[in-house]
Amino acid sequence: MNAITVRGLTKTYGRVEALRGVELDVPEGSIFGLLGPNGAGKSTLIKALVGALRPSAGSVAVLGHDPLAQKAALRPLIGYMPQGSALYADLSARENLRFFGSAHRVPDLAARIDAALGFTELTARADDPVYGFSGGMKKRVSLACALLHEPRILLLDEPTAAVDPHLKVRSWAMFRELAARGVTLFVSTHLMDEALLCDRLAVLQRGRIIAVDTPAALLQRGRTRLRVAREGVEQTSQIGSAPRDLAAALHAFGLPAEVESIGLEADSLETVVLGMINEEAL
Amino acid sequence: MNRTLVVARRVLTQIAHDRRFLGLSVMAPLLIIYFLKIFFDTMPAGFNVARYIMPVAAFLVHFLAFLLCAIVLVQERTAGTLERMFINGFQRVEIIGGYVLGYTGLATLQAVVALIEVVLLFGLDYSWPTLAALFGVIWLLAIASVMLGIFISTFARHEGQVFPFIPLIILPSVFLSGLLVSPELLPDWAAALGHAFPLYYANNVIQEVIKPSSDLGAVWPNFLILAAYGVALLALASRTLREVE
Repeated sequence: MNAITVRGLTKTYGRVEALRGVELDVPEGSIFGLLGPNGAGKSTLIKALVGALRPSAGSVAVLGHDPLAQKAALRPLIGYMPQGSALYADLSARENLRFFGSAHRVPDLAARIDAALGFTELTARADDPVYGFSGGMKKRVSLACALLHEPRILLLDEPTAAVDPHLKVRSWAMFRELAARGVTLFVSTHLMDEALLCDRLAVLQRGRIIAVDTPAALLQRGRTRLRVAREGVEQTSQIGSAPRDLAAALHAFGLPAEVESIGLEADSLETVVLGMINEEAL
Repeated sequence: MNRTLVVARRVLTQIAHDRRFLGLSVMAPLLIIYFLKIFFDTMPAGFNVARYIMPVAAFLVHFLAFLLCAIVLVQERTAGTLERMFINGFQRVEIIGGYVLGYTGLATLQAVVALIEVVLLFGLDYSWPTLAALFGVIWLLAIASVMLGIFISTFARHEGQVFPFIPLIILPSVFLSGLLVSPELLPDWAAALGHAFPLYYANNVIQEVIKPSSDLGAVWPNFLILAAYGVALLALASRTLREVE
């Protein structure tokens, strides 16, 4: 079943078309990434999904509900983390959580706040005012606010933008844990390495969806440059990005014919640097 | 807890945490009233200070309550917390109601402190019923100002857009509401325009109750008009506060 269905969604601001006939199906229980450059329309699309924006045309259904006409039924089911922190800087993390949690009238709010603070690793700073927090910590408070009422769908607008690599890794571990519990995550990002961590990806460009696929399938649409040096002579060729393409290209260099595919999985620079930081800390 | 009270509690908690904001909100009118004392001390003997100082104190409370409430509510929009409140399920009426309750607390504090300073600093000898009437009218004006601030904030996308409303709405009231000269001395159209400002009705009450032989009964409709002004602005703000882009 689809958690989100979008059909022909268009939003115009005067002569500017922010969204142009967006079509999207997001399966329940998945991490769905919305990838696109700044200004592509990612935040506009998320705002339409949470009912903060009235579409110029088209329709949106989130868990079967129209975000505008059935907002009362939908809002307890969704958690929204906006691009900015959207917190009260003078209040502590706990006070922010208590305020936004009170809106949902969740039972046993104090225990849920403690659990959300623990999940986002904020317990030690729970009673400090938010204005003293780093950008990453504010993001975690914001995420905790979105989680308090245990929503079925989490809509996260660039949740790890401007966040340090260590925290980014921890955030994605949290997202995976939530997805394992059956929560659907709709995550917008302009970071390619982050997009690779999603189950499916939609690429948004100038308000239009130009591709929807798994990250692996999208990668296979690219080309790989193969450089082979033999006896001082380097040969460069362009091959497909699928593991079978690499094996096929290497057959010409003596790779046994029974090897059907070769996949390479190199650590990203982020993983390498994080490893170095962790080693140094020990 | 009722969600209106949740918003009010949050507003009051924020004000209590922000001691600089709280201090300035209360200290600023006190300081200006003190400067007015120095100014009025230069006036010739027999000058009727009371005719001016009490309406000016009311104006200060009116101006600050309007400005602070409008700016803070616009900050809610620019910071994204207003959008987050809506998405979390708060209703428009609950948000506005919570703001009115929260800022009425601050406005009450401003009204009490300004009234006490004026009475003590200028040595005004008013009876308790007169003081009660003065407090009542300044308090009602402050509430109407909070609602005016909420209403105006719906037309501003950022804090800077609040300021053009000051020369448009607040400053004309100084000249047309009877604060400095009686509206009867103004051209008819200007006097008629003065009726549009809440300060006009507050000033009517103040000028009557500070007379040695005052008759509150003659000006009580002004209390009703001030209350109606607040309710009308509340209704307007409830319609204009945008939940959806």
